[in-house]
Amino acid sequence: MDIEPKRIIRVLVVFTGLFISLVVYLSYFEVFEAAKIQKNAYNKRQWVNEENILRGMIVDRNGNTLAYSEKTENGQIRYYPYENIYSHIIGYSSKEYGKAGLESSYNQELLAIDAGNPIQEFKDKLSKTEKKGNHLILTIDHDLQVYANQKLKGKKGAIVALNPQTGEIYAMVSKPDFNPSKLKENWTEIIENPDSPLLNRGTMGLYTPGSVFKVITATAALEDEEVSKGFQCKGSVSIEGYTLKDYGETAHGAIDLEEALVKSCNVAFSQMGLELGKTKLKDTAQRYWFNKEISFDLSTKNSIFPESKIVTKPDLGASAIGQGKILVTPLNMAMVAASISNDGRMMKPILVKEVLSPEGRTIKTGRVATLSQVSSEEVIAQLKEMMVQVVEKGTGRNARIKNVKVAGKTGTAENETKKTHAWFIGFAPAEDPKIAIAVVLESIDKTGGESAAPIARDIMIKALEKLQ
Amino acid sequence: MLAKLFSYKTPQNLLVLMNAMALFLIYFYREDMDRTFIIAGISLIALIYLSNFLLQKISYGDHYLFLIMGMLVSIGVIMIYRIHPEYGLKQILWLGFGILSFFLAYLITKKMKGWERFTNIYVLLSMILFIATLLFGVKVKGATNWIRIAGFNFQPSEIIKILFVFFLASYYVKQNVFKNPYTFWVIVYSYIGFLFIQRDLGGALLFFLVFITIAYIYDKNRKWILYNLAFASLIALFSYFFINHVQVRVITWLDPWQHIDSKGYQITQSLFAIASGGFFGTGVGLGHPEFIPEVHTDFIFSAICEEMGIFGGIAVIMLFMILVYRGFKIALYQQHRFFRIVALGITMMFGFQAFIILGGVMKMIPLTGVTLPFVSYGGSSLISSFVSLGILQVASEELDGEQEEEHGY
Repeated sequence: MDIEPKRIIRVLVVFTGLFISLVVYLSYFEVFEAAKIQKNAYNKRQWVNEENILRGMIVDRNGNTLAYSEKTENGQIRYYPYENIYSHIIGYSSKEYGKAGLESSYNQELLAIDAGNPIQEFKDKLSKTEKKGNHLILTIDHDLQVYANQKLKGKKGAIVALNPQTGEIYAMVSKPDFNPSKLKENWTEIIENPDSPLLNRGTMGLYTPGSVFKVITATAALEDEEVSKGFQCKGSVSIEGYTLKDYGETAHGAIDLEEALVKSCNVAFSQMGLELGKTKLKDTAQRYWFNKEISFDLSTKNSIFPESKIVTKPDLGASAIGQGKILVTPLNMAMVAASISNDGRMMKPILVKEVLSPEGRTIKTGRVATLSQVSSEEVIAQLKEMMVQVVEKGTGRNARIKNVKVAGKTGTAENETKKTHAWFIGFAPAEDPKIAIAVVLESIDKTGGESAAPIARDIMIKALEKLQ
Repeated sequence: MLAKLFSYKTPQNLLVLMNAMALFLIYFYREDMDRTFIIAGISLIALIYLSNFLLQKISYGDHYLFLIMGMLVSIGVIMIYRIHPEYGLKQILWLGFGILSFFLAYLITKKMKGWERFTNIYVLLSMILFIATLLFGVKVKGATNWIRIAGFNFQPSEIIKILFVFFLASYYVKQNVFKNPYTFWVIVYSYIGFLFIQRDLGGALLFFLVFITIAYIYDKNRKWILYNLAFASLIALFSYFFINHVQVRVITWLDPWQHIDSKGYQITQSLFAIASGGFFGTGVGLGHPEFIPEVHTDFIFSAICEEMGIFGGIAVIMLFMILVYRGFKIALYQQHRFFRIVALGITMMFGFQAFIILGGVMKMIPLTGVTLPFVSYGGSSLISSFVSLGILQVASEELDGEQEEEHGY
């Protein structure tokens, strides 16, 4: 064979290779990269499709409209009548700044984008019917949400209130917040604010829990018969040269577990932690859903019990009283309180009660589900009684409600800001809990009992009135 | 006979069917379509069908070339019509002229003898065109490679492409045209240099690739091919470091997302289109290819991917692959040395040009603007492609190969 045809064939092979590489690259692109790329904010297609569909309404559990859209000459406008009050729950849907909150996580439902039914699409096209999105009914109680907002006004922090038996969220507030109707005007201010108003502190804020964590240490101690239940408190204790102090260095003297919780005794709890060891403490914390993802209608962060970072005895002692490297989300702590009130059954939190089609047909419901049994019913019953005593005569006295038995636990968490966070978690009425709550006030430099407990009390009163 | 006329197995009829379905979809999904559209659609179908019919009567060469072109051109016209109805209408007009020039090129090339003797004329004509572009060139999309004559913009480089192939072929028939071997290199690089000056990077790359591949097959000085490659790499490196618009191409290829609102806008919009098509596409008329700047010319492939899906895109790639295969097969069977090289040259022009722009819009290689032959909008490009195809059609027939015996290996 001549050299010329040989070379021609070689070149042909190269050409074939080039074209096949195009096919391979294109397929690779479609399979592995396309999905990610499509979501880019510069892809205008996302918006064009939306313009043609009237975005669905969002209402609270009693039918108050929280967000709705109206047609205009060119497109539609989204209205948020309660502005800042729902900045973190509903979020926003903006061409310039994307989507957040339920507007983002329920985008498909709000636009009624189902898994493509071409025949329906064809029919719609023929009949030229206007496309409408689905509506969301939330578990939120609007009055309670407004009230909780007022209570947190001017402070930084979060409140999460929920139904302990079903996991339905009644109110969820995070401060500072922003006005979703005025994103354009305020955007630079919002993103440059060092307090990150866009962050939903309720589900994503990670805080040092301080003494509220003691309910978890107490659970572990009650489960373990070998852990001592009597302690000698001198106001401070030295663990391998590291001194742990009680609040105000008060010496509690000889106390049992209940009194230790009622008085929030650091000396007693750190000793319990040392006796329990980090593995047992971690196991209990994980039953309370630490280190695990909470599947929720909004994005969440995991509470952290960092077993690998707890190396020395001082680390362990600090962890047992909720200091050190432990971090929790307010939502998770509200779920902790709720599970204790609910005989140890931790329920999956629900925010969207129902998705309704424009015609009013139910498309989806928020299913009530148990996440975890945090401990045995006996242990939980004892713990519940102790938490009632905390409010009756201990650090949580400011959460007392006339004629209603309230259970709770306070926390004053030291953190890297030098100013302590104030915590309160609790539920009421203790014998038949209707509401569980977590309140955290960020860097307020006051104790949980003096600042967080009264807020929790007021919200619980309001909730019990509403739920009568 | 009649049964054959309506059989779905005849490729021409398949083409008619495909066109009819796609045109129906456009009519259905675009509210702005009127009677002109129906007339345009019917003329498109008729043009392709009848010219196929005519070709079968007059040429005994390769009939697949024209069918492949028919498919490509149909996809192109449909997409262009769907994006810009008035451009679509114009493109159908150009298609008419294109088919006319195909047959003219076919007849002239076939009847005239001694094409291999005009080396100097090819060069001279090319240089005149280049210089005219430099003097009277109009700047369009950053490249000064258009001339405006009597209200029409046309791209001289589209004609020069064919002249270049003829020049290479006539040179390599004997490889003894120039006494001084360097003359040939100087001429080749002046072609590429002119394109470079016009900022037509895609064109420069295309010419170089065709030249180096032909040289690989035919050049007797094997070492020179390596020298050329080394020289070209040096030039490429130099341009990357010192010429801004070359650098921009590379940067937007490596990471267009960083410059999404400026330099990278076009390519990222193209990627969005391809990504949103999925495997089966949104359906003709249902996507938004109009978001891509220049979608009807350089980025037509992205529009095809969006609305006809990756499978539609792969089909286009495969059509080019078959076109290249047919072209090389023609070259392998052709006894006439000059037309053998011309067949290779033209096929490579189609093949490399398709690869450069297809790879570019999907970000496999840096993006350099060239049109997608037969598919992109544009009169000069379409007519040049049709003339090339007409010449390839001649090459696919049995020609007098006497000259081969005189100077064969």
